[in-house]
Amino acid sequence: MKTPAVVAIALTAGALGASASGWVVSHERSAPRDGVVSTNTGYQGPASVALGDIAGGAVPTGAIDLPNPYGDSSAAVADGKRLFTAMNCAGCHGYSGGGGMGPPLNDHYWRYGGAPAQIYKSIYEGRPKGMPAWGHALPADQLWKLTAFVSSLGGGVEPQDAVAALRGDGTGAAKEGITIPGEAARAANDE
Amino acid sequence: MKIGSTIQTKGAFLPASVAIVACALVLSSCSDKQASSPAPNASVRRDFGHGTFNPAPNSAPGDWTSQARDYANSRYSSLDQINTTNVSQLKTIWTFSDGAQYGHEGAPLVVGSTMYTVSPFPNRAYALDLTKPGAPAKWQFDPNPAPMAIGKACCDAVLRGWAIGDGKLIYNLLDAHTVAVDLKTGKEVWRTAMADVSRGVTMTMSAFVVGGKVYVGNSGGEMGVSGWISALDIHSGKQLWRAYSTGSDKDALIGPRFKPLYPQYRGKDLGLTSWPAGMAPQGTGAVWGFISYDPDLNLIYYGTSNPGPRVPAQRPGDNLWTSSVFARDADTGEAVWAYQFTPHDQWDYDGVNEMMLLDLPIGGRMRKTIVHFDRNTYAYVLDRQTGEVLKADNFAPQNWSAGFDWKTMRPKINPVKEPKVGGKVEHICPPDIGQKDWEPPSFSPRTGLIYVGIFNICMDLTDHKVSYIAGTPYDGMEMTRHSVDGKDGDWGAFLAWDPVAGKAAWRIPETFMVMSGTIVTAGDVVFYGTTDGWFKALNARNGKLLWQQKLSSGVIGQPITYLGPDGRQYVAVASGVGGAAMVQKGRPGMPARGSTLYVFSIDGAGVTAATGVAAPPTGASR
Repeated sequence: MKTPAVVAIALTAGALGASASGWVVSHERSAPRDGVVSTNTGYQGPASVALGDIAGGAVPTGAIDLPNPYGDSSAAVADGKRLFTAMNCAGCHGYSGGGGMGPPLNDHYWRYGGAPAQIYKSIYEGRPKGMPAWGHALPADQLWKLTAFVSSLGGGVEPQDAVAALRGDGTGAAKEGITIPGEAARAANDE
Repeated sequence: MKIGSTIQTKGAFLPASVAIVACALVLSSCSDKQASSPAPNASVRRDFGHGTFNPAPNSAPGDWTSQARDYANSRYSSLDQINTTNVSQLKTIWTFSDGAQYGHEGAPLVVGSTMYTVSPFPNRAYALDLTKPGAPAKWQFDPNPAPMAIGKACCDAVLRGWAIGDGKLIYNLLDAHTVAVDLKTGKEVWRTAMADVSRGVTMTMSAFVVGGKVYVGNSGGEMGVSGWISALDIHSGKQLWRAYSTGSDKDALIGPRFKPLYPQYRGKDLGLTSWPAGMAPQGTGAVWGFISYDPDLNLIYYGTSNPGPRVPAQRPGDNLWTSSVFARDADTGEAVWAYQFTPHDQWDYDGVNEMMLLDLPIGGRMRKTIVHFDRNTYAYVLDRQTGEVLKADNFAPQNWSAGFDWKTMRPKINPVKEPKVGGKVEHICPPDIGQKDWEPPSFSPRTGLIYVGIFNICMDLTDHKVSYIAGTPYDGMEMTRHSVDGKDGDWGAFLAWDPVAGKAAWRIPETFMVMSGTIVTAGDVVFYGTTDGWFKALNARNGKLLWQQKLSSGVIGQPITYLGPDGRQYVAVASGVGGAAMVQKGRPGMPARGSTLYVFSIDGAGVTAATGVAAPPTGASR
C-alpha cells in the first residue's frame, strides 16, 4: 500500500535517520487506536522534543526543514480542515485558528516552530501545556493533512526558512519586509 | 435572622450603621413592595424596610477571612474609616506582584496581621506580613501543578479564590488537586487528587470552608467532564462525599430528603432520563462558582454549569441537573431541592453564578431568599427553604427569551435565537458568558441595594457537531462577540439593583466589561474595577464617582477591605486581566496581562520604617 502516508514516513526516515528523533517512526505505533487520545504525559513512545528546536544549543539537523509531502495541496488542506474540526482541534485553537484555550495558529509566533516538520512533531507528540499526542490516534497521512491546514492559516513557515526562523529571521513580518516601523516608513517614502 | 444579635462591634470603630441595621431588622415587616410595583426613586429610599442578611460566621470586622467575607455571600464590610467624605484621598501604599500571567480572579484574605494570596497557575501561595513596611512575604508555597492543566482550562488558567480554616490555607490547583497549607509555616499539610486532569478536569473555583468541611467542585464544562461537588475533611483532606450533577439519583445524592417544589423535578433518575442514552456521564454540570451556606437551615447552595456538549442538537431533553441550583445538606450532601434556570441550555449560559442569601421583604413578609444573577440575564429571587421562584427579572438586555413563564417556571424561548448546526445565528444576547459571569456582587443592608458588574454584549453563533474525545473540548460553539449597541457600543456597565423591586436603582455605562467582584462598606462606598484597569469608588446611595485609579492591567479580581495591625482601614484588589474578559482582545484600550496586587489607604498612609508597628486598635481582636 503506497499511500502518501507511507511515502511521507519513508521520506522522513530517510532524511533523518530513525535515531535523530523518534517521531519519524510513527508507523511503529504500539498503542491501540481506541479513539481516546492520550495527553503528552501519558505518551509511552520515543523521546519527544529534539532540543535543537527550542533551546538553541543543538545544531539543527535536516529534520525541521523537511517539506510536507502534500506540499500546499488544496485537497490536503481541505481534508486537514475537516480533521481539525472532527478531532476537536478547533475547540482549543479556534475554528479559523485564531486561538482560545490553545495558542493561535494563524500568527507568526511559534513556540515549537511553524515549519511543516515542526508542526507535525507538535501534533504527533503533544506539547506540555495540554496539547494531546495525536500520534496515538491518527495515521501519518492525516497528521500531514492537519499540518497542511495549519500551515495554510497564515503563519506557516516555509521549510527552507525553518532554520533561520529559529533565530527569528526569515519569517513572519520580517519575511514580508516590515521589520520595524521606521523601515516601513522609509520604504514608503522611497516610492 | 440573627443579624441584630450577632453583628460584631469593634470598639472605637463602631459605625452608626450597626444601629441602622438593627432598625432594618425590627422594622423589616413594614416593607411590603409587591414584585410588580415600580422601583422607588433611589434618591428617596428609606434606610429600613429593605433586605438584610446573616453575617455568620461573624469574623472580626477588620479581617477578611473568606472570599465573600460571610457565608451569605454579601461582600459587605462594616468598616467605615474610609467613607464618602474621604475616599477621594485614597492612594497606593504598597503593591505585590506574583509574576503569574493569567487572570487574577481571587480576593486576598486577611487574618490578623497577615495577608494570604494565591497566584493563578502555577498557584503559588504567599503570606504577606502586614506589620512591616511593604508587607514582605513571610513564606511562599509552590505546589508545582502539572503544566498540562493550562491547556485543559477553558477560560484561562485562573483561580477564583482560596479559603482559610483550621489553621490552614486551602485551595484548588488547576490540575484538579486540593491542597492545604499550614498558615504559620507555609508547609503542605495535605493534598488530595480530585480528578484526572488529562481527561479535561481542572479546578478553578474557590474552596469553601464551613466548620470541619471543605467544599470544592470541578471545572470543565467545555470538556465533557462529569460535574461534581465534594466535601473534604479539613483535617485530613479525605473526601467525605461527592455529588454529581448528572447521572443516577445515587450519583447525584438524590434520596428521600429531596423535595423539589416543581413537578418537572420529581421522578427517578432524572439526571439520566432527561438525556439521550449514554450522554449523561459527559454531560458536565461542573461546579466552578461560589458556594454559600445558611447556618440555620444547614444547607449549602451552589450552581451547576452548562450541559455538554455545548451543541444542543446533540442532546435533546432538559439535561438535568445542568444550569441549575442545588440546595444540599451541608453534612451529608443529600439534595434537598433543585431548580433549573435554563433547561436544555442552548447557549452555554450555565447556572454557576453565586447565590446571595438575603432576607427580603417580598409580598408583604420577610422571606429567606436566594438572589441569583444568572448568566441568562434573569435576576432570580428564590425561597431558599423550598426553591420557590419569587421573582425573575431581566437585569440587562437579552433576546433569547420572550419572558418568564410563571406556569412552567422556566423562561420562554425565542425560537429565532436558537442555534443551528452549520448555520450562523446573529446577534444573540447575551453571549455564552452571559450579561454577568462569575464575578460576585455585594449587598448593603444600609441601602438595600445589590452592586454588580455586568456586560453589555451579544454573539454571532455557529454550532458544529462534536465527538467526545477525552481531554479535548466537547464544545462545538463558534462565536464572535460584540456590543449590544453595535460597533462602537459599550461592552459593560455597573448596576445598583433593588432586589425587592426587581429593577435597577441606577446604572453606570462602562466602555469595557465589568468582571470584577464588588464590595460595599458601612462608609457607603462601593468598589469595583473595569477590565481596562480602572479601580473605582462610588457613593453607594447614588452612584456618584468619588475616586478612581488606573492600575497596570485590567481588574477581574475581587476587592477586599480590612484593618491593618496599625488600626487603619485599607482596600486591596488584584489587577491582572484574563479569563472571559479576553473576549475583548484586540479592542483599542484593552490592557496587557499583569500580576499586581494593589493596596490603598487614605493619603497612602500606613506602616512605615520610621513609625514601625502601631498598637492594635481598641477592641479589635488581634
